[in-house]
Amino acid sequence: MVWCPDWPVVAAGADPRALVAVIAGGRVAACTPVAREAGVRRGMKLRDAQRRCADLAIYPDDPDAQGRAFERVIAVVEELCPRVEVVRPGLIAVPARGPSRYYGGEEQVAAAIRSALAEAGFDASVGVADGTFAATLAARVHPSGAVIPTGETTAFLAPQPVSVLDRPELAGTLIRLGIRTLGELATMPARDVASRFGPDGAVARRLAIGADARPPATRRPVEDLSVSCEFDPPRDAEPVVFAAKTLADEFHEGMRSRGLACVRVEVEVTLSDGRTRNRLWRHDGALSSLALAERVRWQLSPMITGTFHTHDGKSAGDHGDERGVARLRLAPDQIVTDGGRQLELWGAGDVSGVVDRAASRIQVMLGHAGVTRPVRSGGRGPGERIVRVPWGDRRTTDVPADLPWPGRLPAPAPAVVPQQPRWADVLDDAGRPVSVSGRCVVSAPPATVVLDGEELAVTGWAGPWPVRDRWWDPAQVQRVVRFQVATGDGRALLLVLDDGRWSVEGIYD
Amino acid sequence: MLPALERLLPGGLPLGQAVTVDGVGALPLALIAGAVAARRPTEPGPEHWCAVVGLPDAGVLAAAEMGADLDRILLVDEPGERWAEIVATLVTAVDVVLMRPPSPPPAGTVRRLMALARRHGVALVVVGGWDGAASRLQVTASLWTGLGDGHGHLRGRRVQVVADGRGAGRRPRSAWLWLPGPDGTVAPADLEAVA
Repeated sequence: MVWCPDWPVVAAGADPRALVAVIAGGRVAACTPVAREAGVRRGMKLRDAQRRCADLAIYPDDPDAQGRAFERVIAVVEELCPRVEVVRPGLIAVPARGPSRYYGGEEQVAAAIRSALAEAGFDASVGVADGTFAATLAARVHPSGAVIPTGETTAFLAPQPVSVLDRPELAGTLIRLGIRTLGELATMPARDVASRFGPDGAVARRLAIGADARPPATRRPVEDLSVSCEFDPPRDAEPVVFAAKTLADEFHEGMRSRGLACVRVEVEVTLSDGRTRNRLWRHDGALSSLALAERVRWQLSPMITGTFHTHDGKSAGDHGDERGVARLRLAPDQIVTDGGRQLELWGAGDVSGVVDRAASRIQVMLGHAGVTRPVRSGGRGPGERIVRVPWGDRRTTDVPADLPWPGRLPAPAPAVVPQQPRWADVLDDAGRPVSVSGRCVVSAPPATVVLDGEELAVTGWAGPWPVRDRWWDPAQVQRVVRFQVATGDGRALLLVLDDGRWSVEGIYD
Repeated sequence: MLPALERLLPGGLPLGQAVTVDGVGALPLALIAGAVAARRPTEPGPEHWCAVVGLPDAGVLAAAEMGADLDRILLVDEPGERWAEIVATLVTAVDVVLMRPPSPPPAGTVRRLMALARRHGVALVVVGGWDGAASRLQVTASLWTGLGDGHGHLRGRRVQVVADGRGAGRRPRSAWLWLPGPDGTVAPADLEAVA
């Protein structure tokens, strides 16, 4: 396993030693080690992250750019080992057996890959173990990775906490039952785990004993399950990506009707001049058709930018008319039996086909998070009470909305909720900034709000309403004070005072 | 259509046409809230969908308090440069599109989107300028109630909304509304009734 840590940050072109975070949907998707030391975590809200670390530089999340930039890493690794499988931008799987015989050992392969990547200017760690799951963990235990000798994988996995399974719900249940490490999970009988936790639990146990997530299918499929699509005349990348979505749907239908799934898909692109470009894409869950289309887009993106290098090192970008795609083929590479999935009780059946098609089409244009659906969530501020869930994802939130939230603002809700904090100044009669003491005493009644250089006269105000969130967790504790202020132009503002800084959290307009 | 807004737009949002509003706020949310109003499950009728394009700061919760069903709303927060293509895609699928185009929208794009909207019978609600809009709604007076001098909380806002029609023959219509009222809903607020 070759792992480039914090790849979204690297791909955004940021300095890995600076305070940097990549934000997707208002939450931290990745951050640098320095930012992590400052208390920024993945999944944290942007607002919280900025509170913890005011100098944090923000970059938007751009999976396409990450996929595109990662092509350079793949090219370097491909020079050393054939059959590179891309798990996602930032993570590559390489079968170690062949190369280790050539280089004289697994340690040597890992060192060769690391130094080649370091020469190309990438920071990577290489982990070697039996199975991709254990190898990924091995890549993470040490900045440069670790080599787990054959047969010692189970011993390596045993002390790892169950949270490394990346199944938070399952891990929560296991911890409550007193099962804290993978070793403890591995000692339980497979049948009991499956009957108690379902297919998800069975997969977790297989991972814990160092096996692959799904057992390989015992029979080779007789019929050819690959699907392909010809383009005549050859097309450029954009229509091909759209066709890939339809093709992926067809591919999945073929697999599903036979009760199979595949963990590795080979995407083969044939150019109009007859050259082909293959890539293996690996995924532990079954790749959804949208995710598959996204990977085709990553594979094609060097063509869009015109820096498409073929294996003989020549750039195809020089011949303008030869860059068209003539054929796209999706072939299942590693077939497993489908463990079955729990359908949602009320299903996605409430969505009409027309809307689904339009939304999927926009997702092809803008990426998975381009189209969202609002879902009510728990919380006190207006921004926390609506969560945007990408189209096609499960519409559930971690924070229940129907519990009482003391300190929550009463209706009506503000009609404008800025996504980024809008800083403001609140002044009293004499032009001094208004402050609130630790005992919630306001220094003077607010008289003027300065927002974007505009002075608004205050005609009425109420507050302060203190909120102390997550007081039980020193890392996440948040103490803010809210005010409602009516201004002379007929609007009203919801102001937040946090750490001496005023910002507008909502505009009642 | 919310009943309180009937006096401004008799017959509801004009299908296949555009209505403009001046800014993001409660008014455009009230217009879409009526279109995707939550209903009892037993109530028959076609499902309506609404798409919101290019308004990442729209207060979805406020729309829900006005009666919108959040399950029927699609959000495209950052359409980028391909907003016209995205709106064209949505017009074929949903019933109401609330959008903020880049200003000023190119005339050719406006014509093409209007033709698509007419063919599919879709109502467009546009924040900002839009050539050939059937009606323009704006808030001309607004007063919040409920806030004292350091006490109370915002309860409701009385606004005067004026709808200008197209063509010289149509008189502007005007109505006083609670936008929103104390429980977040929209209700008529005639001066006589309040005084």
